[in-house]
Amino acid sequence: MATIQMLRPALRSKEGGERVGLAALIVVAVAVLAVGAKWVTGFAAVAMMLAALLGIVSVVLVALLGGPEAKRALAPYGLLKPGSIWMALFYLAPVWTLLKSSLSSKASRFAVQTDFTWEFSNYATAFSDFGPQFARAFLYAGAATVLTLLIGFPIAYVIAFRGGAYRNVLLGLVVIPFFTSYLIRTIAWTSILADSGPVVSVLDTLRLTSLLESVGLMEDGRLMNTATAVIGGLTYNFLPFMILPIYVALEKIDVRLVDAAQDLYSSPTRAFRMVVLPLSLSGVFAGTLLTFIPAAGDFVNAQFLGNPNTTMIGNSIQDQFLRQNNYPVASAMSFVLMAIITLLVVIYSRFFGTEDLV
Amino acid sequence: MKSRQVRRRPGMSRREFLVRSGALGAAGLSLPALLAACGGSDDGGSSGGGNQLLFENWPLYIDPTEDGLTGSVDRFMAASGVELTYSEAYNDNLEYFAKIQPLLGTGKTIEPDIIAPTQWMAGRLLNLGWLDELPLDKVPNAANLEDAFKNPPSDPTGKYSLPWQSGTAGIAYNIEATGRELKSVADLFDPEFAGRVAMLTEMRDTVGLVLLGEGIDPSKISTFDEAAVAFEKLAKAKADGHIRAFTGNDYTDDLGLGNFAVCVGWSGDVLQVQADNPNVRFVVPEEGGTLWWDTMVMPKGAKNRDAAAKWMNFVYDPVEAAKIAAYVQYISPVKGVREELAKIDPELADNPLLFPDDATKARLIPFAALSEDVEAEFEAAFSDIVGA
Repeated sequence: MATIQMLRPALRSKEGGERVGLAALIVVAVAVLAVGAKWVTGFAAVAMMLAALLGIVSVVLVALLGGPEAKRALAPYGLLKPGSIWMALFYLAPVWTLLKSSLSSKASRFAVQTDFTWEFSNYATAFSDFGPQFARAFLYAGAATVLTLLIGFPIAYVIAFRGGAYRNVLLGLVVIPFFTSYLIRTIAWTSILADSGPVVSVLDTLRLTSLLESVGLMEDGRLMNTATAVIGGLTYNFLPFMILPIYVALEKIDVRLVDAAQDLYSSPTRAFRMVVLPLSLSGVFAGTLLTFIPAAGDFVNAQFLGNPNTTMIGNSIQDQFLRQNNYPVASAMSFVLMAIITLLVVIYSRFFGTEDLV
Repeated sequence: MKSRQVRRRPGMSRREFLVRSGALGAAGLSLPALLAACGGSDDGGSSGGGNQLLFENWPLYIDPTEDGLTGSVDRFMAASGVELTYSEAYNDNLEYFAKIQPLLGTGKTIEPDIIAPTQWMAGRLLNLGWLDELPLDKVPNAANLEDAFKNPPSDPTGKYSLPWQSGTAGIAYNIEATGRELKSVADLFDPEFAGRVAMLTEMRDTVGLVLLGEGIDPSKISTFDEAAVAFEKLAKAKADGHIRAFTGNDYTDDLGLGNFAVCVGWSGDVLQVQADNPNVRFVVPEEGGTLWWDTMVMPKGAKNRDAAAKWMNFVYDPVEAAKIAAYVQYISPVKGVREELAKIDPELADNPLLFPDDATKARLIPFAALSEDVEAEFEAAFSDIVGA
């Protein structure tokens, strides 16, 4: 009872609620991170978990017993708690481990333990040995993003403005591919693009093969195991991630705005350019990020649809981790990939970002 | 070896599904620590053990109970009373290694009593001190081991491994796509087939075959320089776009369809594809083919040694080994299998891919056991060529 008496001001006032909420959030996140990243072990880890528990208990106490002011001030911190625990344990702690591993070295090739030695040469290796794979990853992901945008925007537009009663059915059709595993869908492409498959034989019949070869889209009269196939696979697999956010942005637009523009003597094209397009940019922005970021790290499409000269950085990271037992360099590569993507996204959002992200 | 074949199993087989989805599944798990859950940490006794057994083998590598026939696993359990759990968790040597490394490397034990690494991987596990001696004193049938497999370089004393099945890597081709019979490693590099050639991601098979083509014996190399010529040749072919893909066992579809005119392939695979598509051929090149075998080894601290001995004794009985060979169609390492197989399937007993004649045997060369550092050099150079 005495404790609760002591906590009384915290239980009452707005400031108290805010302080308890913020303090608990920080304590819980740091404690979980410390345990997850193995900064502490043994008794210290137990102490950390107790501290985290105490943080949660204090929040619960305020929530149950506090005054209305304190409760209201506490609410946002309380709502952030599940997310912050999750991110601390499953994002920050692994990133920390990865960072440490990327600066480590191994005593021998099959050693389990890595020794932290500020091994910056891992980063040099990541850049010098895997430059082409990095370049291809961003090139292919960029091409796929542009293609998904060109294909996805019109689809989202039609569903949002002309879908009428069929809107939900059409949206369902966009999502249906997800009912099949990503891997199976990619492998299905191998038979569609096969040398004797439907696509190549149609191109052959139309005498387009040599034209496509001359612009570099086909190699030796084939589509399978070419860069075209890899980009095509990425485009296909990530298309729904482009369509859905654009649809959400378009769907919010009041069609009467277009009518108003036309009433003011705007041509339909101009009305699209001045009204619909700017209002849809938030969706385009979200869609490009949802497509580009995972596509840059993808390795499945390059593995099944590509050839030895079209491998992407994801393939190399997988190889270094699982086949070469080279965790330090693999970690450095992962970090470089993350850093480049972050940089690109920051630059991109500077130029094209909008205030409201969907 | 990546691929285990089943005879006359039409269409997209479970094997392919397993291997492909297995590859992806394993790839998704980036840190072996995540896999730590698969092992126990209790220290096993050095002898005896319970009446249970866990064997982790490659997919589709044993005769199952189906079509009214009782599979080896069920026959063994009925005959011995041992409760055998037969798992197909061994999909890829390097990936399996990445999985067990955090446990065996820190002195912990893993759950399976017997695992099935290919001979070079068995050698690596032995050098790392991660294997227990087999209870061979309780395996009288081990005397049936073919002489060719006795005391190999990967296990000089022969006390740590017993071969499970053996096979060869050679040239697989689709005669409709090539337009002629092939017989030489040089055919893999024929400009006529540019862009329609595939090789295996299994480094020892691909590099071994190219070395043989250059007149170098892959069982006698000990430094990277001795094999450098093969790597240069592969790197050039890759850069020129001559090599279309490096594959696991998924080459069989492309070969059947003619997407690949010629590739490095495994004997047992081709036997299966042939049943559906007579255009697909396999040849041990005149320069020689690579010989590999998968082994049964017991990881350090494996508990059920008596049950493991009973199992090994069972599968080294020629009658039982013939039933396995009839199904998996690889080369059996057990003496007397041919006679027993003749009683089940006379045609198969005459198949030179299952029972190579002496002249062919002389051309089947295993890859040398490489030292740790040299192996690292080989694998780094090869992964460069594969493009990863």
